[in-house]
Amino acid sequence: MNKLLEIKDLHASIGGKEILKGVNLVINEGEVHAIMGPNGAGKSTLSAVLTGNPAYEVTSGEVYLKGQDLLAMEPEVRARAGVFLSFQYPVEIPGVSMTNFMRTAINAKREYEGKEPISPKEFLSLMREKKKLLELPDKLNNRSVNEGFSGGEKKKNEIFQMAMLEPCLAILDETDSGLDIDALRIVAEGVNRLKTPQNASIVITHYQRLLDYIVPDFVHVLADGKIVKTGDKTLALELEEHGYENI
Amino acid sequence: MRISKGEIFERVFINEEVNLQIDQEAGSHVKIHVINASFSITVNQLGEGCLTEIYGLENLHGDESVTAETHVTHAVGGGTSNQLIKFVLADQSRGHFIGDLKIAQDAQKTDAHQTNRNLLLSKDAEMRTQPQLEIYADDVKATHGASTGQLDESALFYMQQRGIDKQKARQLLVNAFMKDVLATISDDELREQLLNSIDGVVQ
Repeated sequence: MNKLLEIKDLHASIGGKEILKGVNLVINEGEVHAIMGPNGAGKSTLSAVLTGNPAYEVTSGEVYLKGQDLLAMEPEVRARAGVFLSFQYPVEIPGVSMTNFMRTAINAKREYEGKEPISPKEFLSLMREKKKLLELPDKLNNRSVNEGFSGGEKKKNEIFQMAMLEPCLAILDETDSGLDIDALRIVAEGVNRLKTPQNASIVITHYQRLLDYIVPDFVHVLADGKIVKTGDKTLALELEEHGYENI
Repeated sequence: MRISKGEIFERVFINEEVNLQIDQEAGSHVKIHVINASFSITVNQLGEGCLTEIYGLENLHGDESVTAETHVTHAVGGGTSNQLIKFVLADQSRGHFIGDLKIAQDAQKTDAHQTNRNLLLSKDAEMRTQPQLEIYADDVKATHGASTGQLDESALFYMQQRGIDKQKARQLLVNAFMKDVLATISDDELREQLLNSIDGVVQ
């Protein structure tokens, strides 16, 4: 099995306060890892640091994506190299249409891969195909990115973008929060259908519920900035029943 | 100049300084766009049921300095005025908006809106905004808003996370900010041409 992501003794802080206190994690191609943990454990910090959010400072440690130094890359280069974050709170961008946004993103990735820009025809049919996967309306193309979207639509739109960009590493940050059961099913199905033997995902969640739909190979418990326990999917059920106190 | 009863006066000025004093007769319509130039526009609604629209878009670089000035007076009732003035300020550019809006005592049922939005792209750029409202009638709908801000950092990061480089992401946000002013131009061909010219930067 090929190693996709390797995190070694990662420490990170925000505003001088240390949040991650030595995270170690190896993710191989084809694997789904769930990261669970109480509020404030550092789950969202981990996703922010992996994607290069400038609000966070990495104080020590190393991260490699397919052997490349991930922390040395600009956020946009990480994205083009295949790291995708489904945001917990997707950002509204008034005045920027989904079409313009998505085409710019796809062409940035294609340029990075040494490919020609996507043709308008190919682009539109790709949009159509992926919208269907997430049961998103046709009128999406002309709407501004996330503007006026309901909570469920925003999360579907994240997975739609993931489907368009075909990342090798998808990080789903609390993708289940604020979703009703139908939206949850659609989002989870979307994620499952995008799974290949070459890509992997990190599913950050508070609740076991999402893991009924997206079945993880490993479950990690993140507490006080460290992974304190790792198990298989049964660990999530155990946590649901007994909470985090006994970890 | 005088716009007579029921007449329509519509102009788009690009890179051309504008100095206009307009008296509107009843039911007339004035619609003016000024793009990338200083202007001083005075409009008096002297007849009932006039419509006045003033749009300004100033995209400034280097040490450019632009003053946008509007003086709109509703002397009689039943009129409408809409003003949307936007500045994008890069480098050491300077912007100044002066907006006087007066609704006379007899001008009941007036509907007047004045909006000034400014985007600072550099810490050396500077914007001064002086809106002034004088409302003497009691049965009117009048709004005004002025704000000066910077690009939304969370939107920039969101776009970078999708592989769009920071420069392009900034350009997309700036274009989005400017679009709604251009979208109000009536001439289809000119409007599309201007909208495409700002979009062209990011293709």
